[in-house]
Amino acid sequence: MLAELLNPYYLQIGSFILINIILAISIYVTLSSGQLSLGSAGFMGIGAYTSALVTIHFDLPIIVGVIVASLVAGIFGIIVGLPSLRLSGVYLAIATLGFGEVMRVFFVNWESVTKGSVGLSGIPHIGRELLNLFRDAGLDPSSIGLRNNQFVYLLVLILLLLITIFIIWFFVRQNNSRVGRAFAAIKMDEKAAEAMGINITYYKVLSFTQGAIVAGFAGSLFAHVLAYISPADFAYHRAVEILIFAVFGGSEVILGAIFGATFMTLLPEALRVISEYRYMIYGLILIFMMAFRPQGIITENMVQWLKKKFSSKRGKSHGSRN
Amino acid sequence: MVLEIKNITKNFGGISALTDVSFQLKEGEIHGLIGPNGAGKTTMFNLITNMFPPTTGEIIFSNETITGIKPHKITDKGICRTFQNIRLFSQMTTLENVMVGAHSRSKAGVFSGVFRPKSQRTEERKIREKAIELLDLVGLSEFHDVVSENLSYGQQRRLEIARALASDPKLLLLDEPAAGMNETETASLFDLIKQVQVRGISVLIIEHDMPLVMKLCDHITVLNFGKKLAEGTPEEIQNNPAVIEAYLGSEEDDEIA
Repeated sequence: MLAELLNPYYLQIGSFILINIILAISIYVTLSSGQLSLGSAGFMGIGAYTSALVTIHFDLPIIVGVIVASLVAGIFGIIVGLPSLRLSGVYLAIATLGFGEVMRVFFVNWESVTKGSVGLSGIPHIGRELLNLFRDAGLDPSSIGLRNNQFVYLLVLILLLLITIFIIWFFVRQNNSRVGRAFAAIKMDEKAAEAMGINITYYKVLSFTQGAIVAGFAGSLFAHVLAYISPADFAYHRAVEILIFAVFGGSEVILGAIFGATFMTLLPEALRVISEYRYMIYGLILIFMMAFRPQGIITENMVQWLKKKFSSKRGKSHGSRN
Repeated sequence: MVLEIKNITKNFGGISALTDVSFQLKEGEIHGLIGPNGAGKTTMFNLITNMFPPTTGEIIFSNETITGIKPHKITDKGICRTFQNIRLFSQMTTLENVMVGAHSRSKAGVFSGVFRPKSQRTEERKIREKAIELLDLVGLSEFHDVVSENLSYGQQRRLEIARALASDPKLLLLDEPAAGMNETETASLFDLIKQVQVRGISVLIIEHDMPLVMKLCDHITVLNFGKKLAEGTPEEIQNNPAVIEAYLGSEEDDEIA
């Protein structure tokens, strides 16, 4: 029964949705301080390659690879973020897009290490490692009626789900704190934020770097879930895809990024039946979206409205009227 | 002296916005900065908060030179301002706006903001209480959860004052706080600024509403074409022929008009 429900293909799509959610959060975090960065694909690539190389060549556990990858992406975030302070809006978008392309070309040309456009294969797979871990502990998938590959994909999905929930929790909490208020203030009016005592240099680099770390982190997960990466995975089209997650879902709230990533990952899969037209429909949806709801599906107002509706149901008596 | 402006000159390209202006602000006084449009009043505010540096001259705050210090550090030292063209964080609620104002008086970073140890929760509660208290002070206690862009013009101006006060300033700079206000609103603004003074905060105010300035200020500095024209008590200013000329034109002009 359970064995039939758990189709490895669906489980894998589930994992991609979660990785895409993390990527969408990376662009959302940078946007929350008013910076539009299209460097996510580049940072994702840095994370993926760093983690893959570290685990392949030094035989380190995946978790070390992931941590090193996030740190390296973060360092690159600072290096790119500092000079980008002078830029804003489309100029920043173009500059970061350029950065992503530089990284891609770098992965292609540093053949001795990255194997060029052929890509890296044989990257340790999270699922396989977990499976071995469970086997060592004496738990065999067949004992709960699952085939090996079902069990592997299920483990990956559960692990990614926990990680994604933690990341969402982290940034929701950060948003409702002094740091989150500083980001929002900078986004709304940089000069006023500065006059209110907010060190805009620090907070802008902080949010840019956080975005880079999250993207690098997602990249390393991507590498260890696919076990194969090539420069084409981190090309300009990936950068645009990540941007679409945030813009489609709504970039004001974290819920928008989550929704956008989920919907935009599922859509091409759901449209698989009409294979050759699916990207046309994908494109049309985007065009209609920009025409009729440019702020994205989920907006701040919508969240506020839902909150109000929810809280007024719970206690009408102390609802304050303005 | 809370604030000493010493021989400040500011040139934008070849145009001189301020030329050799000096004045002083005593502790606890309300000091008016008046003058016709384009006299350099807002430029003076921007120089005090170091939005840009002066060409020459020096600004001293509480016996410490503050020229060349970054704007956010100036707020840290105890100067906070409002803006002539309202610059609230328009999509934040009223309460959040004031809480942002308390930024320089709190210190929670990323990790304490996320994991919320007791120190962070205490700090957050204090910020919130202070914000609520300041909203009471400026008469916006019923509007905590209203998004600030939905407030009326006069309310937005008072919210800007509350936001500035949240940084516990020693010196408050008000840039035309009464602009666009009706008489009732101006009257309550007068009371508000007097209450700010009672709290021991010195005030430097740019204002075009002359009856308000004359009633409110202990001292007035008059600027005209980037130069200091006069300085003194409201009575002295009102009877100063140079000021009258700058504002009303000379008697010959009157006859023509």
